[in-house]
Amino acid sequence: MFAPSRRPAPARDTSAFAPSCLAPGFVVVGVLESDADLEIHGAVHGRINGTRVVIAESGLMRGDIVADEVTVAGRLDGRIFATKVTVEDTAHIINGRIFHNVISVARGARFEGRMPWRPPSYFETLDQLPEPTA
Amino acid sequence: MTIFNRPDKPAETTAKPAATLVPTPVPATPQAKPQSVSQPLYNAPVKGKPMATTISKSTKITGQLESTEDIQIDGEIDGDVRGVNVKVGNNAKVKGTVFAEEVELAGSVDGKIEAKKVIFMGTARMTGDVVHQDVKIESGAFIDGHLKPEFGKTAAKVSPILKSVSSSPAAEKAS
Repeated sequence: MFAPSRRPAPARDTSAFAPSCLAPGFVVVGVLESDADLEIHGAVHGRINGTRVVIAESGLMRGDIVADEVTVAGRLDGRIFATKVTVEDTAHIINGRIFHNVISVARGARFEGRMPWRPPSYFETLDQLPEPTA
Repeated sequence: MTIFNRPDKPAETTAKPAATLVPTPVPATPQAKPQSVSQPLYNAPVKGKPMATTISKSTKITGQLESTEDIQIDGEIDGDVRGVNVKVGNNAKVKGTVFAEEVELAGSVDGKIEAKKVIFMGTARMTGDVVHQDVKIESGAFIDGHLKPEFGKTAAKVSPILKSVSSSPAAEKAS
């Protein structure tokens, strides 16, 4: 009866844009670059250059994220440069500077820092990140 | 009511369409769906499901990687990798040292491998030395370097994570 309504299992996609997933207990010190979705459940110290980045609930990011779309549900100590930013209610952001065009911050999120708005052209021409100011 | 009954009667003679009309309380799925509408990108973590790290094809990492769990590498890594069970996929490239308990290499490594168990698949390409305890090489693998069955004998080179796991500080102090 319910068989037709059941969604088919997502096909194992091994294409070039398969998402990357960093499990909890996984630590990266350095630069992470990706054209695919990036889901971080572990810790990253350094920088992320991506398109769609998710800092999951158990994730910890210390450094800068440059992407089109960023979702933060974990901990962040650093800056985000993204046109679209979503801060989930489980997020904990310290020293944050979220350069955004569109942002949503869920009720319950802990946020310390600033979120400067920038026009879309700012992100298109973002070749070099501004110096972090204390 | 009589108005509704009237058009039904001719339909009931062809019992089948009526039968399909009657048991259509299919709210089970539509009701469940709206609850999960507001999650475009981030899906809440699936509890109890062991998560493995995958570094996909289009991902490049420059720097150090450390994990207490399994790693599947399909992308490009420029730096050291420390893990427990590391699988380097078909088109993956690693430039640096791979420390692990078990390494399965189908891609290319330019650097060094230090692992208890090393498996070279037919598509593997290894440039550099391999320190192992147990090795398997499939036909077609390319290896340019030395194979040394010395894993564990040079304890100082074992990664900090593995060291803490295998709890060999006593052995280290004795030496």
